[in-house]
Amino acid sequence: MSESANANAPKPSSSVKLVLLGEAAVGKSSLVLRFVNNDFQENKEPTIGAAFLTQKCSLPTRTIKFEIWDTAGQERFASLAPMYYRNAQAALVVYDVTKPSSLTKAKHWVAELQRQASPGIVIALVGNKLDLTNDGGDVSEAVGATQSEPESAQGGDEGAGEEDEGQDVVSGDARKVSTRDATAYAEDEGLLFFETSAKTGTNVVEVFTAIANAIPESSLKTGRGTGAGTGQTSLGNRSAEDSRVNLGDRNAATAKEGCAC
Amino acid sequence: METLSDTTWDVIILGTGIYQSLLALALSRSGKKVLHMDSNQYYGGSDAAFSLDEAQQWVEKVNKDTHISPFKDASIFKQDAPPLSDDTSISPKLASSRAYTLSLSPYFLYARSQLMSALVSSKVFRQLEFMAVGSWWIYAPEQLESENDKLGAEKILYRVPGNREDVFAANHISMKSKRTLMRLLRHITKPNEDDASNEDADMSMSLSDYLASKFNVPEELHNPLLSLSLSQLSQHDTSASYALPRIQRHLSSIGHLGPGFGAVIPKYGGGAEILQAACRASAVGGGVYALDTQVNDCLWRTGSEHSEYRFLLELANEGSVQAKYLFTSMSDACSKERSTPLVEVARSISVVSATFPSLFPLTVEGAPVPATAVLMFPGDTLGSPNSPPVYLQVHSSDTGECPQQQSVIYCSVALPGPEGQALIESAVDRLIRAEGISANVLWSLRYTHSGCISNGEPRHLTVGDGVPDGYRFPPSSLDLAFEDDTFDLVKEAWKIVVGDEVDDADFMMFDDRDGTSDQ
Repeated sequence: MSESANANAPKPSSSVKLVLLGEAAVGKSSLVLRFVNNDFQENKEPTIGAAFLTQKCSLPTRTIKFEIWDTAGQERFASLAPMYYRNAQAALVVYDVTKPSSLTKAKHWVAELQRQASPGIVIALVGNKLDLTNDGGDVSEAVGATQSEPESAQGGDEGAGEEDEGQDVVSGDARKVSTRDATAYAEDEGLLFFETSAKTGTNVVEVFTAIANAIPESSLKTGRGTGAGTGQTSLGNRSAEDSRVNLGDRNAATAKEGCAC
Repeated sequence: METLSDTTWDVIILGTGIYQSLLALALSRSGKKVLHMDSNQYYGGSDAAFSLDEAQQWVEKVNKDTHISPFKDASIFKQDAPPLSDDTSISPKLASSRAYTLSLSPYFLYARSQLMSALVSSKVFRQLEFMAVGSWWIYAPEQLESENDKLGAEKILYRVPGNREDVFAANHISMKSKRTLMRLLRHITKPNEDDASNEDADMSMSLSDYLASKFNVPEELHNPLLSLSLSQLSQHDTSASYALPRIQRHLSSIGHLGPGFGAVIPKYGGGAEILQAACRASAVGGGVYALDTQVNDCLWRTGSEHSEYRFLLELANEGSVQAKYLFTSMSDACSKERSTPLVEVARSISVVSATFPSLFPLTVEGAPVPATAVLMFPGDTLGSPNSPPVYLQVHSSDTGECPQQQSVIYCSVALPGPEGQALIESAVDRLIRAEGISANVLWSLRYTHSGCISNGEPRHLTVGDGVPDGYRFPPSSLDLAFEDDTFDLVKEAWKIVVGDEVDDADFMMFDDRDGTSDQ
């Protein structure tokens, strides 16, 4: 009953299934690599085989363990996504701010999720490769979901040098998708929205933290957002947690692991 | 990867049913290049799970389909919009289509089954949530008058004792019956202690003859014992050699994974959820997935220039692909003939506005709340003495298959067509009526499913005529619990591909991938 005992008590831990969607080469795997390992590989080969990674994220009241499913390398067949977003609580739909067609593809994925995925799924739209724009790199100028200031024109030619290598740019700004357009779309569809750079790390952790905060508590308990009904459980006051069969260490998560958030 | 034909494949697997998906899982760390395709836009084939809308589309497809298909006579019944009255408040309505996951493969897994072990050793269990299968119940209409203190469904059902403690506690069994039952249970769990001289001859008897002649088990206990074996034939048509090992399986599984239960069901659609978890693990290991991909033609090439990649498959929209081995199933495109004799069963899936709380008792302290109950309605209790029993699996909303305040009832009877459907309807109707005024069938899907029922004979992969590297899995299994002999087929297929490179003991034995365990 002492205060120290309470402070040391492990926070409740919940797994969140997150699916990563988007056109090839927009930086999906790089975002996850940055989030999970705080690492970036410059000329990363296309991912062969799908990737599955986990990372914990500590919120004030609970620990969220992300199970991240990356459709990497198989986007063209669009066949992994349906089984990945089945019962997923969150989706990260990624486009490349220097490639307008990738936003079009992202919008297709959002529509598909809204049509097929669990009704309560939290969707975050992410414009990656911010380092290739004039907004690039500096956290203070990056656009986050909670911010609504107009597109920043500051930043000058800072960071416009070698990072733009290979880009068809004159001004040093390779941006082809305006923040304003993407924000408007995200607001219309009720999506979280961020612009990120997996290369510099800008906003990457913020995306995952925002998703973790947006997952409704009810969905964490039942594992899926279909809680149609009154909040009463089906069997009196016994909750769904009581009915899960624990196989070995499935739920024996400890809080000792460090967290990127 | 831009096109599938860029790669030469070690293995092409057609169809994403449970066998094929488990094979993909088994090969996921083998380093083999695996292409896994399905002609449908969804995973699972005849083991799939559907939302209400998807079920509607499936019904239309089944009834239109002229190909060999394991399904026919599918139809959907929807409750008419309820009349505008006060009653609507106590009778919940159907929720949105995606609030439901209705499974064509609602079978459960015994704790000691090989598949259960493989899901653990392959680490796939981390992507699944298991719920306990609770009590077994027998329909006994004569109970109706005598036990008025019972509530709901319990008025017409009695609980099958699942272990010795249960037998002693059961108040509907006489002391004399208890003694004979205990003797039988002891014999089943430790058969070698009794004289085994005539055992073989005895085992060919029907279950009812065996129970009566060998142990004097009173007739009222035959059906409960039959239900523990999950036999889909009547007690007179079920052999002792079928039933006894399965009763033993039931008894020995109780408590193996935790107190008070012996079998589990994966949340969100049973077999359909297992197979998707298996496919995901295969994809993580490098397997390539293509749904909605039709095979127009399948060639097995004999020329020496093709000695490594014998198979050439012409795909409808992806060019052609080459492979060393091809695995498919009886119900998939490349197979044209059918060799295994099939059984037809009538099945239904009903969404019901009732929760049947009395069917999910906690029988042991510390047990998880069961999410499933198994009900058997013997043929004679439904006015059809020669009919096989009707099995109902009641799934609570804890399975994630339906919204709260509702349940899903999966029914099966080894009697196809309208006759079987009538028995099912009668059984569901009695259960619903016992539950009371607010209970209603909101939606139901009825169909005939043909496939294999386990009969103790080992099943095998079949090889196509003149196509030595092309293998076919048998049609889908109709058993109510996942049978180990179906799992042996997956191992057989795995062995064909990995050959002598790998030790048998390595089958499905995988380490956690980096960073994915709970450490």
